[in-house]
Amino acid sequence: MLSQESFLRIWSSVRRKHLFPELPLPELVEGAGKVAMEIKSKRMRMDISFCERMAGRLPEEEVVEALMDHGVAHHTCCPWDFSTYLKLYAQAKKVLRDPKMARRAVGYFTDVVADTYCVRRGDTKLPQLYRHMERGEVEETLVSLYQEIWGMDLGASGHGDVVRRLSRIPYLDRKKWEENVRRFARAIKPLLEEAEDEENPMGEHGPSDFSSEEIGQGLRMLASQGLDSFREIVQDLGEELLAAGGMGRGRGNPVDVDVLFYMKLAEGYALPVQKVPMEKSGSLYPYSHSPWEVGKPIKDLDIWTSFGKLLPGVSQIWERREGEVFGSSEGTPDCIVVIDSSGSMTDPRKRLSYAVLGAACAADAYLRNGAQVAVYNFSDALRGGMEVLPFSSERGAIYRTICRYFGGGTALDLRALESLRTDDPDIFLITDMQITNLRKVVDYLKGVRSRVTVVHIGENRHVQEFKERTEESGHISIYPVERQEDIPKIVLGKVREYLR
Amino acid sequence: MINPFEAFKEYKYRKRALPLDDIVASKAMVVNKLMEGYQHLLDEEVKELVWLARENTIMRAYALAEEWTRGIDYDVEDIEEFCFELDRIRKAPYRIAGPGGLYLSALCNNVKDEEVVLRIGDMEGRIHLLGYRLPKGKRLIVEGDLGDFAGIGLEGGELIVRGKVGNATGAGMKAGRILVEGDAGHRTGEWMMGGEIRVEGTIASIGQVGFGRIFERGRQVYPPITRPRRI
Repeated sequence: MLSQESFLRIWSSVRRKHLFPELPLPELVEGAGKVAMEIKSKRMRMDISFCERMAGRLPEEEVVEALMDHGVAHHTCCPWDFSTYLKLYAQAKKVLRDPKMARRAVGYFTDVVADTYCVRRGDTKLPQLYRHMERGEVEETLVSLYQEIWGMDLGASGHGDVVRRLSRIPYLDRKKWEENVRRFARAIKPLLEEAEDEENPMGEHGPSDFSSEEIGQGLRMLASQGLDSFREIVQDLGEELLAAGGMGRGRGNPVDVDVLFYMKLAEGYALPVQKVPMEKSGSLYPYSHSPWEVGKPIKDLDIWTSFGKLLPGVSQIWERREGEVFGSSEGTPDCIVVIDSSGSMTDPRKRLSYAVLGAACAADAYLRNGAQVAVYNFSDALRGGMEVLPFSSERGAIYRTICRYFGGGTALDLRALESLRTDDPDIFLITDMQITNLRKVVDYLKGVRSRVTVVHIGENRHVQEFKERTEESGHISIYPVERQEDIPKIVLGKVREYLR
Repeated sequence: MINPFEAFKEYKYRKRALPLDDIVASKAMVVNKLMEGYQHLLDEEVKELVWLARENTIMRAYALAEEWTRGIDYDVEDIEEFCFELDRIRKAPYRIAGPGGLYLSALCNNVKDEEVVLRIGDMEGRIHLLGYRLPKGKRLIVEGDLGDFAGIGLEGGELIVRGKVGNATGAGMKAGRILVEGDAGHRTGEWMMGGEIRVEGTIASIGQVGFGRIFERGRQVYPPITRPRRI
């Protein structure tokens, strides 16, 4: 059994070898001995039984070092982050069409890249580990591949045709990974079908390898690629994503994939909200330092304590805290998001709805600024076609209400809307303006003391009428949205004159 | 003050050369040569982005394809990689399907191996005219769908398609066997002179067949089997 001291010494040397990656200290855990290691939220967990069993053929220190090299290379080389993992998975799925098989193929592919990266850098015990490891059908083929591409005798043989196909893939060419994983999946497919139940001795890889921040970032990237691919991949990896906390909802709370899509897409926009003077408000002030990590924004970087460098672990960023200030400081009021979900609007579950995306962006902007959001989703509201959510900070409930689609006629129930208004919150209305009681709505909006942001989807005579009738009202801002690219142009709560 | 870069002081980056680099470089060179050959074929055959699939143009393009691929040392994997290279290129005239299929046919017919397996199931485009003049003793297995004129002018080889095929499959084939695991399009077996076409799915329609046999889901549909009339 390896002493804690030796374990720490090996970890220290591996970290040094890989240029001090920001990774937590690995653990040695009791396991069944079949799988050498697993990675959970970036932490490597090495199986004691596996290491001890291997110790008969190889010094235990070398086994542990090789496993650490392997795990660290997944972090520093391939897949590097969850966004890359998702890209690779999407490509493998195109070839294999089966989620389980695609996950296995991506796992093996990232193993080959990470291990080849280590061998290329030299000074790794991975070849020794593979030479002495017990091998199943797939692993035997991969070790044969390693023999071929690393130029070492690792005592493997067989599957010459598969190895020939695999050995011509430029694994270390990062730009070609998406194409390469397809080639890899194509070549390895018959083997994966044959050895259906074979476990990857170097551990299965998936969303649980990554931190919840990385998963959130990956989902935002995936959402930007469209609803269909997002839906397909999230449904494939759903359970594990949920377990890893990437859904942002906590464990055991199933999430609607379409709602999650708009949530993640909206997070990528970060619309600005104009602040207003408040009686008592909080603003963010530099409070303390924390180490900068890859993926964190650099806008709060403190160059004085970072030695003028941008390096993970060395550079420092300001952590901001909200301070209680009385007087003339500014704050963000709460907001009522009013969204039209009548038949003339796009069904958000069938196609990307700019109205829902715009409303989701607005809700996200107010929530990020610490305000609360109420949602008034309407179709033929006078006949009950509406859903109202009182002021809340719970993202899930807010987005669910925004995504609700009625598909009927279009009329606003102004009494229901008025009942939501307390203390003059901002109003964000998104509609195509084909509202039956548009005149009443205009009169109502002209009369309120709130800041009103109106977003219209498309152009029609009703839009013209609305613009003409509200021209004189300084507290109403109007934005057109024809395409997705128009959404970032919205500035919430922008008013030409403050009423107060 | 502690210098945070102290630990890097003695660090030396070493990059070990691996056999992988040579393998990848040599294979990339072969695929580049194949692309060059295809470029020559397009330069000579595709004028003003137009190419018509007529008997004489097909024969001429194939002869040119054989000429341009002669002397290149390629294998089955190179052919498959070339298929995907072709699929990736979006611009004309590379997307004109006819010459591509004939060029691939020339590669398959002249490769050293007797059996050629092309796993092209995830290709976005469809290859037309693949299997042209596949000679006796050659077996071409395609995992994926093919376009029109699959196995045209087959000369005794065996074409197995693990997917569906377009129209005019086996057009003018002289001998050999075509097995389609999916469906086949219209005018299957047009001007067929011999050999056998077996379609495990459905055939949209049969063309004007001269000689040979066509089976649909195990049942012979050409020549139609007529039962002796009961007297």
